[in-house]
Amino acid sequence: MSKNLSFPGLSSGPAPLMLSSFPRAILHVDGDAFFTSVEQALHPKLRGRPVVTGKERGIIACASYEAKARGVKRGISLWDARKMCPDLVVLPSDYESYSLFSKRMFEIMRRFTPEVEEYSIDEGFADITGMRGVFRRSYEEIAQAMQAAIHHELDLTVSVGLSLSKSLSKIASDFRKPRGFTPVAGRHIHIFLGRIPLADVWGLGPNRVNLLQEFGLRTAWDYVCLPLEWVDKLLHKPGAEIWHELRGTAVLPVNTQAWHPKASISKSKTFSSPSADRKFIRAKLIRNLESAFIKLRRHSLRAGELSVALRLKDYRESGLCARLARAATTASEVSSIAAGMFQQLYIPGACYRATTVVLGRIESDMTRQYELFEDPGKTERIRRMGSAIDDINRMCGKHTIFLGSGLHLKAGAGGDNGRNEPCWRQGHLLEGETRRKRIGIPRLEIVV
Amino acid sequence: MPRKIDVASKLSLLRAFFHREGRAPSYSEMAEMFGYASKNAVYGPVNYLVKMGYLRSCVNGRLAFTRKITAAIPALGSVQAGFPSPAEEELLDTVSLDEYLVSRPEATYLLTVSGDSMQDAGIHSGDLVLVEKGGTPKPGDIVIAQIDGEWTMKYYGKDRQGVYLDPANSKYARIRPQKSLSIGGIVRAVIRKYS
Repeated sequence: MSKNLSFPGLSSGPAPLMLSSFPRAILHVDGDAFFTSVEQALHPKLRGRPVVTGKERGIIACASYEAKARGVKRGISLWDARKMCPDLVVLPSDYESYSLFSKRMFEIMRRFTPEVEEYSIDEGFADITGMRGVFRRSYEEIAQAMQAAIHHELDLTVSVGLSLSKSLSKIASDFRKPRGFTPVAGRHIHIFLGRIPLADVWGLGPNRVNLLQEFGLRTAWDYVCLPLEWVDKLLHKPGAEIWHELRGTAVLPVNTQAWHPKASISKSKTFSSPSADRKFIRAKLIRNLESAFIKLRRHSLRAGELSVALRLKDYRESGLCARLARAATTASEVSSIAAGMFQQLYIPGACYRATTVVLGRIESDMTRQYELFEDPGKTERIRRMGSAIDDINRMCGKHTIFLGSGLHLKAGAGGDNGRNEPCWRQGHLLEGETRRKRIGIPRLEIVV
Repeated sequence: MPRKIDVASKLSLLRAFFHREGRAPSYSEMAEMFGYASKNAVYGPVNYLVKMGYLRSCVNGRLAFTRKITAAIPALGSVQAGFPSPAEEELLDTVSLDEYLVSRPEATYLLTVSGDSMQDAGIHSGDLVLVEKGGTPKPGDIVIAQIDGEWTMKYYGKDRQGVYLDPANSKYARIRPQKSLSIGGIVRAVIRKYS
C-alpha cells in the first residue's frame, strides 16, 4: 500500500497517528474541469483544445486543462482570457448536459456502495467501509474500479482520494490532479499532513488560516499537533471537528440525503450594459426576487429574511436586510418590502450594473404554524397561488407569468443579457423537443 | 334469463378491500360494496366467485380469500380463458420504451447519423442511434469509432491482420486503421421518428 505514497526523506519524521490502514474507508471523487470535460466528451472535436464555459456570464466558469496550461483560470473575464489565448473556444454553459453527467457519475458511484453523498454537481463522497468482502478487492482496488468505470462510461476523468474521513479524502483527491488517485492510509496520515498547507484544508478559510499563522502554524500536521482544548477554544466546534477528521476519526457523516439549500438562496444578475433607468433596475430586482422564490418553492421551503443589494457601475455595492413578520413563499408577498428597500438604496442618476436578492432564515414549508391574528384562509390562498404560478411556468416556460413591474424589462429579453446564445443542445433540438423539454440522454456531436 | 354479473369490477373491489383491511368482508359489507339493497343478493356473485376459485367458504360459514385475490401482484397466468381481466393488472408487467432500448442508462448517449455508409443495415441519414460507451465490441457489432483521426460508424470485425471496419453500403470499402483506432461506443438501437 505504501507504494502509492512515497515521501522521501520523511521516513524518520514524526510518529504515526495510528498503525492501522483503513478502519474507515471514505472516498472523495472530484471531476477534473468538469464542465469543459463534459463538453469535450460530447463534442470530440474540442478534445485537446483550450475550452472554457461561461460565455453567457462573460466570466469563465470552468477552464479545460489545455486552457489552464495557457494561464486561463476560473473567474477571470473572457476578455482577459482571449488576450492570453487567442484560439480559446468559448462556450455558453449547458447545465442540462452537466447535470445529466453529474447524475450518471453518482449512479456509477452507487454501484459500489449505497452510501453516496452528492456534495456538489461535480464532486461526491462515498463510504465504502466493509465493501472489501462484497467485491473481494482491497479498498484501493474498489476506488480505482469506480474511477475506471467513470472514465470509460462518461469519457471524462475524475480524481479520487481514499482515506479515513471526509476531510482527509477531500484533501487527498486534490493532491494529484487530473486523473489522480491518492490513498492515504491511517499509518501514513502524519506524513501526508506534513505536506498540506493550512489553506488546503477543507473548512479553514482565509480568516482562520491567518489566525493560525499568527501562532506560527504552517501545515495541517502542525494543526493536528495542537492540543484539542486549544483548538476548541480558538476555533470552537468546527475547528475541533476538522482536528478529529484530520487525525483519521470520521466525525462528519457521509450524508446520503438529496441536497437542499440550508442557509440561503441568492439570485444575482448582471445587466448586459449598466443602466441608470430606475424602473428597469427595479424590474430586474423584482425578477431576481421571483427567480429566488421559484427555487425556494421547488425545495418546499419558506424564507424569513430578505436582503436586497444594488451594485454600482464602479462595483461599489449597497444593501439592506429585513426580517419578515411572516415567512414568505411567493414573491408577491414581499414585493412591496423589496420595492421599499430599493427606494432607500437607489441613488437617482447613478449607473448600476447588477441587482442581488438573498432569501435567508430558510425553513421547511411542510409544517405551518399560524400566528394568533393571522387569517389561515389567506395563507392558504397564497400557497395555492404559488403552486399555480409554478404550474403555469412549468408548462409555458419560466417567467411566463410575472409581477407587473417586469413589464419594464426590455421586450423579449426575459432577463437575457445579450450574450445569451443558446448552447449546442438547445440549438439542435430533435423532432418533438422544445426549449423546455428535451430527451434526458446526453447527445454526442460526431459526424458519422 | 339469469342476470349478468360484472365479475371484473367485483374482483377489483374485493382486492381493494383486502388491501385496505387485510381480511375478507362479511356478506353485509359486500352488499354495501356492490351496491345491493339486500344481503341475499350477494349470494349469487359469491357462489360464482367460489366456483371460480377466488373465494372459499370456511367451516364456520365465513368467507375467505384465496391467493388469486391476496397475491400482491396478480399473476396473469391464473386468469381463465375468456374471462375479462382488468386492464390495470396487465400494466404491472410492462417496460417503457426507454427500458426496452437502453440497458445501461449511465453509459448510453444519443447520436444523429449524417452519413450513408450503414444504409444497407437500415441506418439512414437523420436517424438517431443509441450508443453505449465503455464496452468491448464483438465482431458484428456496429461501432462508432475514430479511425486515423476520422469518426465513422461501421461494422466491427477482426481477422488475422487485425481489426477492420466494414460499411453496409457497396459504395464504400472495408477499412483498416493505419495509425490509430479508438472505439467511441457500440450502437445498441436505432430510432426513426416519422412526423
